[in-house]
Amino acid sequence: MIKTLQYIGCKLLRVLYAIGRFFKKLWMHKQGRIGLIIFAFLAILAIFAPLIAPYDPYDVINGRFEKGLTPSWEHLLGTSITTGQDIFSMLIYGTRSSLSIGLITGLVIAVLGSLLGVAAGYIGGWVDTVIMRIVDILLVIPTLPLVIVMTNVLGTSYVVIVIVFAAFGWTGLARVIRSQVMLIKNANYVKAAEIAGASRWYIMWRHILPAVSNLLIMSTALTSAGIMVAEAGLSFLGLGNPTAISWGKMLADAQSSGAMLFGHWWSILAPGVGIFLSVYSFMRIGLALEEILNPRMRKGSSMIKVFKHLNNRYLDEVFASMDDASKMKGEYVAPSASAALPPAFEAADVRTVAAQAALAEAAAAEAAAAEAAGAQAAAAGTYVPAAQAAAAEQAAAEEPFVQRRAEEEAAKQSARENAGQGGER
Amino acid sequence: MKASYVIKRILLTLFIFFVVVTLCFFIPRIGVDDPAARYYPAQTAGTTDAEYEYIKEQTRIEYGLNGTTFEQYIRYLGKLFTGDLGKSYTKNEPVIDLIAERLPWTLVLSVSNLLISLIIGVIIGTMAAWRRGRWQDRALLNASTFTTALPAFFLALILSFLLGFEWEIFPAYTDQNMVAEFAWNWESISRVAYNAALPIFAMAIGSIVSYGQATRNSVIAVSEDDFILTAKAKGLSNNKVIYGHTLRNALLPIVTQFGMNVSTLIGGAVVIEQIFNWNGMGTLFLTANSNNDYPLMMGIMIFMSAFALVANLLTDFVYCLLDPRVTLGGR
Repeated sequence: MIKTLQYIGCKLLRVLYAIGRFFKKLWMHKQGRIGLIIFAFLAILAIFAPLIAPYDPYDVINGRFEKGLTPSWEHLLGTSITTGQDIFSMLIYGTRSSLSIGLITGLVIAVLGSLLGVAAGYIGGWVDTVIMRIVDILLVIPTLPLVIVMTNVLGTSYVVIVIVFAAFGWTGLARVIRSQVMLIKNANYVKAAEIAGASRWYIMWRHILPAVSNLLIMSTALTSAGIMVAEAGLSFLGLGNPTAISWGKMLADAQSSGAMLFGHWWSILAPGVGIFLSVYSFMRIGLALEEILNPRMRKGSSMIKVFKHLNNRYLDEVFASMDDASKMKGEYVAPSASAALPPAFEAADVRTVAAQAALAEAAAAEAAAAEAAGAQAAAAGTYVPAAQAAAAEQAAAEEPFVQRRAEEEAAKQSARENAGQGGER
Repeated sequence: MKASYVIKRILLTLFIFFVVVTLCFFIPRIGVDDPAARYYPAQTAGTTDAEYEYIKEQTRIEYGLNGTTFEQYIRYLGKLFTGDLGKSYTKNEPVIDLIAERLPWTLVLSVSNLLISLIIGVIIGTMAAWRRGRWQDRALLNASTFTTALPAFFLALILSFLLGFEWEIFPAYTDQNMVAEFAWNWESISRVAYNAALPIFAMAIGSIVSYGQATRNSVIAVSEDDFILTAKAKGLSNNKVIYGHTLRNALLPIVTQFGMNVSTLIGGAVVIEQIFNWNGMGTLFLTANSNNDYPLMMGIMIFMSAFALVANLLTDFVYCLLDPRVTLGGR
């Protein structure tokens, strides 16, 4: 009994330590800090909404005032035209639905996407085929109409909205995780575990999942941002939870009650700023994490570098797979969209996350080979683009020598395999 | 591009379409015993039960809901091959006619949005890449963070407030007579353009920035290549280097993005159409939703998915025709 408690306590401490380190890393990063501060601010608003908000907008008797008041000290943002609720209080209460749906759906998607992604990438075979076909199908059906139909059939409670968003939002994450897993499963320590007789579940749980966990957290932050936009859109169309106060519904009410006609611009601007802040904070955190996790990005923290880097990586991925494909006379399929994220991410972020580790690993291996061979260093240098080589040296310096040698083989093999697998879809 | 690959790809597309159709058939039947129950007229005082049963049966036949579920499914698939998507419950017209009626109006918005944002985005992106690190570049970058975090429908509301209500430059709501009185003359077309200006503007801001950002990154990546250095070393003018050498190669990733956007041409403007009361597929879908008109909703879903599938297929083929380095071949 005591031993079990000790064991659980140890695990808990380790998890807490990991979480603390994670937040410290994020806090040290300039962009990440901005995101964290905004997020903490919104979270405090959401948790202590009844204490912060001057009135209770859910209260039918004390929460109703004269309709359509303009801003004053008593009503900082006036009152709504249809119901006479205090808009400032509604704004604060609206944080709850936006953040909770974003976070909970993000978590469900993280679990679903990582499970399916790891299964597809590690087990392969027919499991992979089935999962990727489902992804193909979900990518084709237009998401918003599908979500609307599902809420029509199943109702519009919070549970249904979370389930529906999660059911159609995991595809992007699963694809990213899958390609990352395909790289990791050829690493020597996984091979060693296999030879030592470890079961598939053990390997997935102890080796594969920890290796993709950083990627998972980053993608979850970006997915949550996308979900919050989608939730706002859904409640703007009047298809969200009808009993709850949400920013999208506030916008819809303001528009349909003629706030624009009366010149009540604050009742439109306020919920919009709320949506913007919440999405922006998640985006900042996600992009900062991406920067932290990638050694090539450690120097410098400006967004310009993030975007430049993201796209270079994207192109690298395309060209690398093209080279491999033509070498092997294999096939190459142009990467297509991931549905869960807002459009601007699609082009740069998500599809390329997979390539991140591949390139870093390949670059490290390249540099290691160059170092080892000594005289051949110049030849290798012409092969690797200048920036990549510099980063690779940095990365290589951080890694133990033995692992480098081992990974050289694995990285090349996995890159080749990935190109082949990528073409199969 | 091998023929076997093309055939494989087309077969896969057909399979996905089949699954989508199956989903669209079964979704309205979730948790419902008799899907036709929604469409029965109320039993009037004079009719006997037997007569009412007859009326019910007639309603079932009218909407293709007679027989077992499996029979209905087979009939549904069979009708689909002849282009029959069933009959709308509220409008009492074939779904395909309703779609054909609304489709051009949605395409007016989305196609012009796509073309405008492609052209302006590529120009802005090239400029930003050329002035890398200067204020033009920074402005594009900041704009892209803002438009990603701001939902398009919020931008649309702000635009409709400022340009539509405050300054009264463009109409904030679409003129409903525009559709009925449309004729192929200058007056009608300019009227459509005048009404479409705000929705297109609202949609285009985000996509211009995203095309701009993609072009910028791609141009910068290409301009670091050796053949650009060669072109410069030959003494070519700046314009020739940009437009003749860099841009032609940099536009390949843009083709992928363009293809993705083509596949969302029909389904991508639902909220914008709703805000401006535009008479397109999005508003048709939302009205169908609020009336529980399942045949119409599912018909629109199937049509949108088919459109997206064909667009994806064509994008893959076009991409491989454009870029000789890409080989689409079977194993």
